[in-house]
Amino acid sequence: MASQMKDVEIPEKALKELLLSKHADYIGAYGTKKDDYEYVMTEYLRMNGIYWGLTAMDLMNQLDRMNKEEVIGFIKQCQHESGGIACSVGHDPHLLCTLSAIQILTLYDAQDAVNTEKVIEWVRSLQQDNGCFYGDKWGEVDTRFSFCAVACLSLLGKLDCINIDKAVEFVVSCMNYDGGFGCRPGSETHAGQVYCCVGMLAITGCLHYIDADLLGWWLCERQLPSGGLNGRPEKLPDVCYSWWVLASLKIIDRLHWIDKDSLIAFILASQDDETGGFADRPGDMVDPFHTLFGLCGLSLLGNKSVKAINPVFCMPEETMQRIGIQLDLL
Amino acid sequence: MHGRLKVRTTAEQQEAKRVEREKKLKIYTGATKKAFEKRNNREFDEEALKITGEILAVNPDFYSLWNFRKEIFNDFKEKRPKEELDKAFQDELYFLETCLKVNPKSYGTWHHRSFVMETMPTPDWKREIKLCNTFLQYDERNFHCWDYRRFVVGKASISAAEEFEFTTEKIANNFSDYSSWHYRSKLLPILHPDKTHPSGVNEEILLKEFETVQNAFFTDPNDQSAWFYHRWLLGRHQRNLEINTMFVSRKDRRVMVTTTKPVMIDCNNPVALKINDKEVKVEWRNQKSQRKYSTLWLADNVLVPDGSINIQVLMDTHRISQLLSLKSDESESLFTLPFKEGNRFSYELTSSTSETLQRELEAIVELYEIEPDNKWVILTLMSLMKSLDPLKYEQEILQQISHLQNLDPKRKTYYDDLRSKILVENTLEAFELNQQCLDLSDKKLTVLYHTSLLPFISELHLEGNQLVNLKNFEFLQCLKNLILDSNKICDINGLRGLNSLEKLSLKDNLIQDVNDLKVLQTCPNLNTLNIKGNTVCSEDKSLNELRQLLPGVSITS
Ligand SMILES: [Zn+2]
Repeated sequence: MASQMKDVEIPEKALKELLLSKHADYIGAYGTKKDDYEYVMTEYLRMNGIYWGLTAMDLMNQLDRMNKEEVIGFIKQCQHESGGIACSVGHDPHLLCTLSAIQILTLYDAQDAVNTEKVIEWVRSLQQDNGCFYGDKWGEVDTRFSFCAVACLSLLGKLDCINIDKAVEFVVSCMNYDGGFGCRPGSETHAGQVYCCVGMLAITGCLHYIDADLLGWWLCERQLPSGGLNGRPEKLPDVCYSWWVLASLKIIDRLHWIDKDSLIAFILASQDDETGGFADRPGDMVDPFHTLFGLCGLSLLGNKSVKAINPVFCMPEETMQRIGIQLDLL
Repeated sequence: MHGRLKVRTTAEQQEAKRVEREKKLKIYTGATKKAFEKRNNREFDEEALKITGEILAVNPDFYSLWNFRKEIFNDFKEKRPKEELDKAFQDELYFLETCLKVNPKSYGTWHHRSFVMETMPTPDWKREIKLCNTFLQYDERNFHCWDYRRFVVGKASISAAEEFEFTTEKIANNFSDYSSWHYRSKLLPILHPDKTHPSGVNEEILLKEFETVQNAFFTDPNDQSAWFYHRWLLGRHQRNLEINTMFVSRKDRRVMVTTTKPVMIDCNNPVALKINDKEVKVEWRNQKSQRKYSTLWLADNVLVPDGSINIQVLMDTHRISQLLSLKSDESESLFTLPFKEGNRFSYELTSSTSETLQRELEAIVELYEIEPDNKWVILTLMSLMKSLDPLKYEQEILQQISHLQNLDPKRKTYYDDLRSKILVENTLEAFELNQQCLDLSDKKLTVLYHTSLLPFISELHLEGNQLVNLKNFEFLQCLKNLILDSNKICDINGLRGLNSLEKLSLKDNLIQDVNDLKVLQTCPNLNTLNIKGNTVCSEDKSLNELRQLLPGVSITS
């Protein structure tokens, strides 16, 4: 039962140039057909989707093509009486969409469009005695929510309203033998979860809990012969891991452990020159999620035609500078 | 969004798909509208379950509708008679199972199942374990299912031993089941705890695990799962928190403490300094500008009286302290944590451990002979050699690193840094921390590890390496003379705030811009700088600017 490496092959004729204007057109047009099947079916992700699209546009210096007033008006309508923000009008508030909403408002320098005090109070109310965070009032626990909570509060300048020591203690209790992190104490390491936990520890100034060499090794072992990165051992490569893995490596000062050229080639090969946008891997259907993370990956890998991205908040560095957040990374 | 292949379709096919989707969409939006209406009207009934069920069956990530179903069940629980309630919950479990079969990786579905199990009056937890078994048989790496399993295990009072047995079976069935190896690493500290061991697991048990894992990689040496686990079994580098060094200088009125792990000193975690048993008020700072966890803490302007004295540092929150004496004729004194040569960076092995690791090494050497180009075999060979005797095996380890760089070029820079770490560690194994001068020249170092152990050295030779930046140099608080000739340095920001630095030689590096040298303004005692052989020297204008930036520094260009 010999193991077979799971990977993809990059076709000879794969794209090697970054098609910026096509991507901008793709994102610009996304959401203009509001009764499109895909669009309607993903309403539960609307707020996240808007954040992915706007951040991608901003990285390409095209944010002014988007309808700022419409977006802000929409976010206002999504704030729930509890203070939390929902993915769409009439849906329920959740930390995942609340962070996206706050990121968008920060991008637009318009945090005051919502009642931020109520947002802060709502986020604070989701912390539990052991330091963890519920995603909403229904009690699901996940280290993703720990990240969302501290990122959100940090953007709103109110990180000190929660019990930071306890929050950190919980995240550290999710650390594993491979140096990575899972969803909850006992859960297996997953690169997306690693990003959330490393980012959470960066925001709270607690990166010293990480064994950077051990985790960095596990992360750089995610790179496959095709150049792409997977999220766990024995899984296929995927463009979104050029964000989860690379951002984590950047935060722990081990980004140089990745072979940059072959990863860049993999990301570029995942573009679609007909529709614009990036897919999860070469030959698949594109979406805004992978389009953002493809661009972010290229930014971290030093591509100067997109703006510099902040590895913790996944927002342009210039935005972080404007609001005066500067984190000490390893 | 994942794994959807783009297929070429004809205009005719596209049109057919559009018509079909339009039809579907009409039904879907109608159902969604109806579901929200019923929710707003608080109609918690069978019809609501039916409508939301139809939507969730195709779109299980529509979390607000799972929430509506939770509201419905909470309402049922208050109002419905027991039999009806039982039936409704059973139906819900059945519904969830059909959803999971279609989409076994939906967060919302698994969370709703745990809600149902916790809310229903008579949950059958054992049945849930069987459900997990089924789903893990279908996909042994489904982390949603593993997480649900751990939740169920807690509720069903299933013992860690039973679960350990389960992972043994799973691994016997498929060695590359990373999830099961991971689970073992979590179960062992529960089954065989040993707080004194760095892994938290009893040493003898760990040694037994070597057999299991050996079995796996002899069967399939290309599978990484077993190797990652093996690496964990070997990992003995973690240390308990101790005071690593303590230094007092009468002349500089300074006390310096280094610890084996980063600590914080602030009002919540105060550290007391006692001179001749009397507490002295001091202000602790670390090498960073901000208050952060650090392994190095300094107190300046300490009133050190004349004569023989005792100085004690007490870290009450960590229950550790250290006493140091300074005789009347001494100007400074240093304590360093004793260690056995070869164990400064690792846990000292017991004789039974050494024996096992020796046997382990023999087994790996055997495998290496069959598989000389397998990177996992080589990596493990190196780790074993390093655990057993890093100095004795130094040459072999370095040769294997070069070999690995050829076999696995994607991770070449990782191996460069690994080599650098090993070389520095081996040098420091034989280095007394109270020595003033450390020579690390011509070692191909790409990064300098363990600077936190060197706050006392005053002269550091790093010429002829491959350093690109000076990260972590801020620990070198007593450094006066730094030689960095012939590296690839383009960033010297690591020198920020080095108060003692007097001489700096940066000959033949990659400094391009005067602004890159601006950080030297934060080194008040710098008097000599050599930047010959850097591109910044090519323009007179830049050199003039530099002289203005650093008045009083003798600059060689
Ligand atoms: Zn993806």
